[in-house]
Amino acid sequence: MVKYGFSEMSSRMMGMVLGLLISLSVTAQASANDRLEEGTILVNNLVERIQTVLDENPSQDDIRAETNAIIDDYFDYDLVSRFAAGQAWRSTSDAEKNDYKKAFRRVLLALAETQFDYFRRIEYTPKDAISKGPKLIIVNGMVQDKTGEYPDAMISWRISTKAGQPARIIDLEVENISMLITQQQENTAIIRQNGGSFQALIDALNKQADDIAAGKQPTSD
Amino acid sequence: MRFFILPLIVLLSACSSMPSDQMSDARDPYENTNRSVFEFNMAVDTAVVEPAAKGYRALPEFMQTGLSNHAEWTSYPSTAVNSALQGKFENAALATVNFLVNGLTLGFVDLTEDEDDPIREDFGQTLAAWSVPEGSYIMMPLLGPGTARSHTGFLLDAITNPLGYSGQSGAETIQYTSTPVNVVTFRGNNFDQVNDVKYGSADPYAKTRSLYYQYREGQLNDGDRSQSNDADDAFDSFLSDEN
Repeated sequence: MVKYGFSEMSSRMMGMVLGLLISLSVTAQASANDRLEEGTILVNNLVERIQTVLDENPSQDDIRAETNAIIDDYFDYDLVSRFAAGQAWRSTSDAEKNDYKKAFRRVLLALAETQFDYFRRIEYTPKDAISKGPKLIIVNGMVQDKTGEYPDAMISWRISTKAGQPARIIDLEVENISMLITQQQENTAIIRQNGGSFQALIDALNKQADDIAAGKQPTSD
Repeated sequence: MRFFILPLIVLLSACSSMPSDQMSDARDPYENTNRSVFEFNMAVDTAVVEPAAKGYRALPEFMQTGLSNHAEWTSYPSTAVNSALQGKFENAALATVNFLVNGLTLGFVDLTEDEDDPIREDFGQTLAAWSVPEGSYIMMPLLGPGTARSHTGFLLDAITNPLGYSGQSGAETIQYTSTPVNVVTFRGNNFDQVNDVKYGSADPYAKTRSLYYQYREGQLNDGDRSQSNDADDAFDSFLSDEN
């Protein structure tokens, strides 16, 4: 039987703990790097896919179909719609939740249809990716307006990286302005301004989708 | 301008606030009053600012660039003063040099051709750097969204602007015309984005408030994306609550 003195045992234990910590840290680092790489690839693939769609001179119907597919393939639409609904989501009926998700998707599709061409004038350059905790990463890039009308803008993609699930985009931030936070705060205001009615939000979103589709938004000049 | 802002801030701050359960945003206790002012501002925008911005956009590109440069140039004295007050001496020096050099053309031509333009700093940012609380959200007639702190900063900027102390009528004219020139060039340079909010939102007031706070946070962080912002915290908390 081999006997160890206290100090010898203590240093062996210390060595084992350190070894464990180092191996855990290396594993965690590798895992974090994998998540960053997965997120970066997801964004690059999305940009490539949009470019491919643009190259095919799509009709409005094509754009609608492609946008629908892009939402499902690259975004966590369930999470996005829940987040955008704000705190009211928890106390809403399942029927209203479904109606809201349909109305919100209508707005996104209407916006995509009217603004898809905008992607023609911009060029995206990936920059870096950073981890913000175990379930969230941010992929940063620069957007350059090829026409020179607007200055270069920093763009950040928030990506959910939940364990065991594929990475999915949950938000887009342009120059510190988050699309989803903006949507959530607007939605919350609509609900509160209407005495807490979630149906009012659904109606407002449907009206917004109708207005956008009807071209009620004036554009430049 | 400087004499009319302070009473307005006091007046609006004195308006009765809403019960917290009726507020759509805890930072906006005077929401009902603010919404009325916002409607007034939108009416002014439709009648005056939007047509002026359209006129600006119809100008030849070199004239648009010249006006934008001039508007930026008029902000350099304030940027220099506030950068120094915040200890950002490099930015203060850059703003001073740009102001002096481009002053040869009243700022219409960028003679420095420098890639690194000064980062705009105002007294509201200085007050934030000095840890002055931001106060409530206040929609000011004609001036638009802000907080008690940022509007106070605007007032202090007007009072401390070196152009006002030059003793020359030309400099004072530049100071008094800088706000309308800034408003029109900003509206013209962001024409589609502002119209998206104005005509394409379900609630333009709430959207404007949200955009203001996020944009201002970016300014206060000097656009440093390595720091977590409020949105990061909101998403982190949401994802953590999912389990």
